[in-house]
Order: sequence, then structure tokens, then C-alpha cells
Amino acid sequence: MSANTLTPRTRAVLATLVDGGVTHVLGVPDNTSAPIFDALSRDTAPRLVITTREGEAFALASGLWLGGASPLVLVQNTGFLESGDGLRGTAVRMGAPLPFIVTARGYARMTALGFGPDTPRTPELLRRPDLDSVALMTEPTLRAWGIPYRTCAADGDPVEAVARLLTDARALQHPTALLLLGSLA
Amino acid sequence: MLTRAQLLEPLAAHRTDEVVVTTMSVTRPWGRLSSHDLDFASADSAMGHTADLALGVALARPDRMVVCLNGDGSMLMTLGTLATVIGSGATNYLLIVVENGSYEITGHQPIPGRGSLDFAAMARGAGFPRVFRFDEPVAWARSLPDLLRTPGPTFVQTIVEPTAEGPISRRPTEPSRYLQVSLADWARVFRKALGAGV
Repeated sequence: MSANTLTPRTRAVLATLVDGGVTHVLGVPDNTSAPIFDALSRDTAPRLVITTREGEAFALASGLWLGGASPLVLVQNTGFLESGDGLRGTAVRMGAPLPFIVTARGYARMTALGFGPDTPRTPELLRRPDLDSVALMTEPTLRAWGIPYRTCAADGDPVEAVARLLTDARALQHPTALLLLGSLA
Repeated sequence: MLTRAQLLEPLAAHRTDEVVVTTMSVTRPWGRLSSHDLDFASADSAMGHTADLALGVALARPDRMVVCLNGDGSMLMTLGTLATVIGSGATNYLLIVVENGSYEITGHQPIPGRGSLDFAAMARGAGFPRVFRFDEPVAWARSLPDLLRTPGPTFVQTIVEPTAEGPISRRPTEPSRYLQVSLADWARVFRKALGAGV
């Protein structure tokens, strides 16, 4: 996707990152975040750093903050679950005001079947082939790890949500998440 | 094979305004040699992510060399970092793997593949343009001016003798200044020293 073929929404999200002072975007792409990764791979600001795993992104972002930069991490919920100790042992322990966006695999199906983040996660439910268990585990994990977060619904405005995320992280002086249920394109 | 003193004392002697990030079994020994505000102990455990944290500092501050003293077990946990370093384009990064072949602070359990691993070869394979291996102290000490001043990224494999460093804590009774306060408090000392705010 070239810069002049960006959708208005992708363009607006990127502008929000720039206006919010974000210097670096780090993470591993997924289908939802791909428009942002594609755009940043052709642009100069914010600088894109693609990592091999999501825990790497959180530790690297913590180092960027130590050095005076203003990073943002962009990962899928599957990768968020992978990143636990990398996030805990760096950004959380430091009190780094690190904003991160978690894209939400499996939420549409979970919601359509009548389940939600507060549904008891029984072994039977976690094994159901028609459910993606990562959706069941995402919000309980955010809560368990002490990460403040807001959710942007599938029909919500991601531009406004990203702007609020940047404000929240700075106010809380703690890693802070936006769970993004919709598209960035 | 280098002793811990033969590894760290020449580095402390040649170090000027470089950032030095430590983890695991070199954390205390380095803190006994150095009390610089630009020392950073990534000692709160992050499953091998110290090299990532140090890379972040390097990317934020391209004007300053960043030295990471990483463990061999830690390096194995995050081998993908070698590729990320190259992909990031950082040139002010000196990644030193302190290879003792064991998880030292938990009692010297062997790392996987001990005796057959070649960290220098891994770094070359990832694309590091400058890769070195040192297993004796004279060549190591002589190389330091070049290692600290020449753009990289540079990867160094050092073969060291095991020691008896126990688990690392953060408490006022720790002899190393950067372990006497919380990670959050030291992060602010470090940021202030870099002019990055508090």
C-alpha cells in the first residue's frame, strides 16, 4: 500500500500518533495492524521497529523510553499473551508511561456466540473448536497483570481511542492498553 | 578463559560516557567497579530481554554508545534479538555475551547446548558486521578502545570462568549503588543523566 492509497482512517491514526509525539512504533504485524505497519515501513515518522516476538517489543520500547523517546507498541492479543515477563520486568517495574494497542483476534466470534471476557473459562469452553480461546483470555490477562485499558468497539472511532490512549498512559505513568476490536484500515 | 575481573576491569577503565546495561551474574561485579548514573541493571528479570532494552536506549540515543553485558542463558532466550538489532539499523550498540555455560545465579545448571553453541557464528549469521570472540584477557583489554569507539553494531563473545554470584536483589544493603533502589527510581536517575527528563 503506498502512502497515497492509505484509507482516511489509517491516515488519521498515523496523524494522531505524530500529533501525540510518538517517536517509534514497535511490534509484530497481524492482519488488523498491517495497514499501519505498511504505511510506517514507507514513512519516516514515527519510526517503525519490527521485532521477532512481542515481549521483545515491550522491552525495546522500555529502553526507548529510558533514552527519552516516546514509543508505542502495537501487537495482536496472541502476542500480548506471549509478552508477559518482558512487559512486567521492564515497563511495569519502571513505571514507564508506555501506550500499547492490542488488536483483538477472535472477539467477533466470541461475541456472536454470546460469550464475553467475564465468561468463566472452563476447560470445556477453552477447548471449543468454534471459539478462539485467545479472545477469552485477553481481558482477564490485562486485569491480572495490572494493565489499565479501554476498549474500542468494532464500530467505534479508533482515532479518538488512540488519542485517548496516549493521554491516559502519560497521566497514569504506567503501561496502558487500548484493546482494538475493529479495523485500522 | 577470562575471570570476571579480567572481563570487567578493563571495560571500566576505558569507559567514559557510554551507557552500560548489565544483567544476571555481571550485575553485582560491575556495580562494585562502577557507580555511574549511566549504568543500568536490568536485574528484575525479564526472561532474557536485557539486550532488547539496551537496544531501545541505543535507538533513542544514537549519539551515545550503548554497551550491553548479557548472559549466555539470557541471549538464548531471545536469539531473535540478533535479527532485530540488524533490522533496526542501530550502529551505536555493543552487545557482549558473557559466556560461562551455565545459569550461574541459580546454581550453575548448564545452558542448553553447552559446549556446542557458537554465539559468534549466530551473530555473523544474523548480519552483525563486527563480530569478535575473546577467551584470554590481553587481547580483550587491547581491543576495548576499538570496541567502544568504532560504529557497529558489534557483537562480542567472551568466554569467562563461572563465579559464585547468587540471586540479585534490590535493597539498600546491596553494595552496588544501582541495586540499592527500585527499578523505577533508578530509571529516573538514568533518564536524568541522559537528559531525558525524570
